[in-house]
Amino acid sequence: MGKGIVEPDRWRQVEQLYHSALRLTAEERSGFLKNECRGDAKLCEEVESLLAYESSAKEFMEVPAFEVAVKQIARRETSENQADPVAIGETLRRFRILEKLGSGGMGVVYKAEDIRLHRTVALKFLPKRLVRDPESLERFEREAHAASALNHPNICTVYDIGEHEGQTFIAMELLEGQTLERLIRTQPLKKEEWLTFGIQITEGLRAAHLKGIIHRDIKPSNIFVTIDGQSKILDFGLAKLASPAGTSNDSYPQYDLEEENCTQGVSPETVSSAASHLSISLTGVAMGTAGYMSPEQIRGEKLDARTDIFSFGLVLYEMATGQRAFKGDTGPALQEAILTQTPSPARGVNPELPAKFEEIIGKALEKDRVARYQTASEILSALEILRQEIELKHPARWREVIIAVVVAGIIAIATFWFAKHQSASPQVAINLKLQQLTANSSENRVTNGAISPDGKYLAYIDPKGMYVKLIETGETQTIPQPDALRSKKVDWDIFSWFPDGRSFLANAHPPGEDETTWTSQGSSVWAVPVSGGAPRKLRDEAYAYSISRDGSTISFGTSTGKFGDREIWLMRSDGEQARKFYDTDENSAIGGLLWSPNGQRVIYVRTDESGNALVGRDLKGGPLTMLLPALVMNDVTDYSWLPDGRLIYSLREPQAIGRSSCNYWVMRLDARTGEPIEKPRRLTNWGGSCMSSTSATADGKKLTFSKWTDGSTVFVADLDAGGSHIINPRHFTLDEGFDYPQDWTADGKAIVFLSNRAAQFGIYKQSLNKDSPEVIFAGAANYRDIRVSPDGKWVISIVDPKSTGPSEPGKIMRVPITGGSPELIFRAEAHVPSHIFCARPPSFLCAIAEATEDRKQLIITSFDPVKGRGTELARFDFGRDMNGDGWLCDISPDGTRLAVSPGPEGPIRILSLRGQPAQVVKVKELNKMLILYWAADGKGLYVSNGIHGGTLSHVDLQGHAQVLWENYGGNWTIGLPSRDGRHLAIQGETGGSNIWTMENF
Amino acid sequence: MSTNPTHEVTSLLHAWGRGDEEALQKLVPLVYRELRQAARRYMAGERPGHLLQTTALVNETYLRLVGVRKVSWQNRAHFQAICAQLMRRILTDFARARGYQKRSGKVNRVTFTDALLIASQSEMDFAALDAAMKRLAEVDARKSRVVEMRFFGGLTVQESAEVLKVSQDTVMRDWKMAKAWLMRELNGEGHRGT
Repeated sequence: MGKGIVEPDRWRQVEQLYHSALRLTAEERSGFLKNECRGDAKLCEEVESLLAYESSAKEFMEVPAFEVAVKQIARRETSENQADPVAIGETLRRFRILEKLGSGGMGVVYKAEDIRLHRTVALKFLPKRLVRDPESLERFEREAHAASALNHPNICTVYDIGEHEGQTFIAMELLEGQTLERLIRTQPLKKEEWLTFGIQITEGLRAAHLKGIIHRDIKPSNIFVTIDGQSKILDFGLAKLASPAGTSNDSYPQYDLEEENCTQGVSPETVSSAASHLSISLTGVAMGTAGYMSPEQIRGEKLDARTDIFSFGLVLYEMATGQRAFKGDTGPALQEAILTQTPSPARGVNPELPAKFEEIIGKALEKDRVARYQTASEILSALEILRQEIELKHPARWREVIIAVVVAGIIAIATFWFAKHQSASPQVAINLKLQQLTANSSENRVTNGAISPDGKYLAYIDPKGMYVKLIETGETQTIPQPDALRSKKVDWDIFSWFPDGRSFLANAHPPGEDETTWTSQGSSVWAVPVSGGAPRKLRDEAYAYSISRDGSTISFGTSTGKFGDREIWLMRSDGEQARKFYDTDENSAIGGLLWSPNGQRVIYVRTDESGNALVGRDLKGGPLTMLLPALVMNDVTDYSWLPDGRLIYSLREPQAIGRSSCNYWVMRLDARTGEPIEKPRRLTNWGGSCMSSTSATADGKKLTFSKWTDGSTVFVADLDAGGSHIINPRHFTLDEGFDYPQDWTADGKAIVFLSNRAAQFGIYKQSLNKDSPEVIFAGAANYRDIRVSPDGKWVISIVDPKSTGPSEPGKIMRVPITGGSPELIFRAEAHVPSHIFCARPPSFLCAIAEATEDRKQLIITSFDPVKGRGTELARFDFGRDMNGDGWLCDISPDGTRLAVSPGPEGPIRILSLRGQPAQVVKVKELNKMLILYWAADGKGLYVSNGIHGGTLSHVDLQGHAQVLWENYGGNWTIGLPSRDGRHLAIQGETGGSNIWTMENF
Repeated sequence: MSTNPTHEVTSLLHAWGRGDEEALQKLVPLVYRELRQAARRYMAGERPGHLLQTTALVNETYLRLVGVRKVSWQNRAHFQAICAQLMRRILTDFARARGYQKRSGKVNRVTFTDALLIASQSEMDFAALDAAMKRLAEVDARKSRVVEMRFFGGLTVQESAEVLKVSQDTVMRDWKMAKAWLMRELNGEGHRGT
């Protein structure tokens, strides 16, 4: 454009439209232009592209050219007069200087290669005048190091700080892009880019503030936007170094910026030892930054993190409007404005800004820091909520927008939420009337159910089928499987009844999945009549959530993504006229939609990497209401919107280990706005159980729910048919906690297991003829791979570092089988979790299997429980790369072979320690493998899979698999043969799940 | 070199205004010297708190350089318009000599290095601006002149209106649109790579 000669008439047209449009608000413009251009799209385009520069061009060329030139010359002369601190090709520490990138008032910058890590870095030499004294340099180093240690994506990483011939240099990330200042000055930010950058910058600030590091010079030229759109805060710690001695008496650290301090409303007052004698003119940290100082900075007061909040507020204002919040031709005029004036409303400059923006800016720019946002987290959550609201206002753009509900923001909300919670005195309803409606055993848990609107029927599901129970008499009728599903195994769930009470809505899910992972994939929606008639399929590849209060509409989820279904659809109650209602991007999921009692609003769950959040919205649009943020919602097992307008939810009590305990909480929501209008109140005072499948009658007087308990116990079964059948499985450990079998004692008469019966996990030993155990060692929280040594004297185990994860190798420990303290045998070498195992006499071999760092090879080394690490026995290629940390390995009882799987999906290989060829055990459909043990005869394996709540199979080396045990209600199981091959210790689930009804709540 | 540079500059400017190209060659070093001196004063004052003085100093230097006070009010605007042309030429040449244009022809790109070093305003590429103004002149010569007078000459809206013999409102409208147009031009539209 502008290259060709524009026809004068054309130009006049452009000019006239441009000026006319300028008189209109931003919203009116597009309609006006559309009308005026009369289909001449090029004309409209030209005018619009000029209008786009209107605000950013406001300050362009307003400073006379002479002055601009003088400053440029000044800068250049300074840089030219600077001697090169280092020569090209020279190596300082581990940095080889490659080329000089530039120089200026703030030093000289080189491109260098980190010869140790083979990466390119920027080396910046600080001007000598900046480094006044060792103390200030030391503080700077401390701050810059601390900031870089965060390794935060929104902070330019400092790799190293060093000195070369008396000159300090900083090695940092070499970035490509431009400063935010340039971005704002040259081109208006794209729609809502201000919000994206704003959130990024606040995240960087938050991370730094939490470490007690204040930037003190936040301004657009200190924020760099990389070519891939990431904002990075530059020069942490430098502002303080650059400030003239004695002008700013803030010391380090300022105050503890832990979240708790601030959310409790304690605003730490910092006392100024009155720098009042300091003249205003002395407080500036650097030339040209006067426009971004906080009032307390101008006054020369002691600074804390809130100074960055104010400066950030100015940056945010400028990003959103293209203009500086405070204007003044001179430093003092600017400072005067910052101290006394309020910036003109941002929406006057950019009418497209949401009203809430003014609120946020107002609070960030409070002159009195006590009234300001107290932490970066606070302003971050305000921005996050604003972003959600904006996204909801533009449903058309909904899909395009990346919604990453930032954990930090949620934490802040959640902290606030918990504060509310704690202040609510538990007013437990004491007149609750409870009645158990089903009486299923722990092996046959009721998975879910729902009460009919009139309260007469209960529809429910257990692993054996689908039933309707007449509550009054207890008479139960089995609903026949639909013909279409008769040959298939499906898992049903029931969500709600149609208002007429004659049929209910059910979903058929593919079998074997944990119910928390159910999605529309492979699922179908059915309407099931109560009295006769076959269930009727309404839709395939759908997961129904609810029926609207008038019975006309069914909501369902579809389109499965990474976190679950990504679309909520509506259809008529007969399954016709399906239409998309809401959708979301790939990095999140939505589902579980419920209508409000008056049918005007809905609530649903949003899921992303931070977890679930319960949100509400008006069907006609409007802002999103955050009802339960992720930190709370992640512990919510179920929720429902009661006919009286209360939200009821089952919240898991915070508990480290042991059984889950949940209680019902209620919170009244405003029928119109959907906002909570009272504090959450705890309704129940239960322990040891959790609830799901909550449903209410139409009058709201009765509630039904499934109440479940969990627990894990050790069963013992006798082995038959060469170990491929079990007989007579029986409860062995008899407590209510979690018990996990680990090994048998050498004589085959006792089982060694982990148990949390004494509040924390410990290692126990229980003889087959006893019903209580002896403790071997009590504090075994991180112990795994617990084995009895071949001689039967020791219990040996791997102890993972407390911070679980592959960062630190595990320790191999031993404890006498008779009990005692653990002692270190040796440390594993691999960072990838290792496995240990022992053969059975006559072999006394114990070995450790360690994966190489590249996860391609397995190294087997012998060890002795007393002498420690022995010799390397073998190295094997995994065949293909091992999958994560979930690799499996056990040694054959005779100590000659290993059974190895690189991951949960196999394949299982039998590897010889004697140089025999490897053998693959070809098993059909053996996925989600969790654990494997050799059978006592060395001819087969006991393999546990994470399907059907934990399935245990015997697999012979030819690949024939025989299912021995399914752990309904659990997640996994263990099958551990005794050395003589007579018994199998099995991990089984205890507890159960049944439907209850509750009144007077 | 005359002991009274202001006087010399004034007469040279008049000569150049009359079409004497040789006058320009004499003018350039004088203006450079003034620019440098101003720059040095600016650097000397580059300490916190001296912003006011520095800005005033720059303006004062400029006024002194062109000797505005000695020119009668009647001619002053016209005289300043000539100064504006001069300033545009000098700064453009200056920028070219400095190799500004090597920066991929755009004023807008501030590299990471610049960000680390300058920590204040970014550079104006006078050469690129001059080229853009030439393109603007092809479309609308008056707008280009308004920019020249206002930015390079420091003329007020009133003074510009007087020289161009149009209303102040017209100057204001020209100025607004020219700024947006030039900014778009300098930005190269869509060069932002984000």
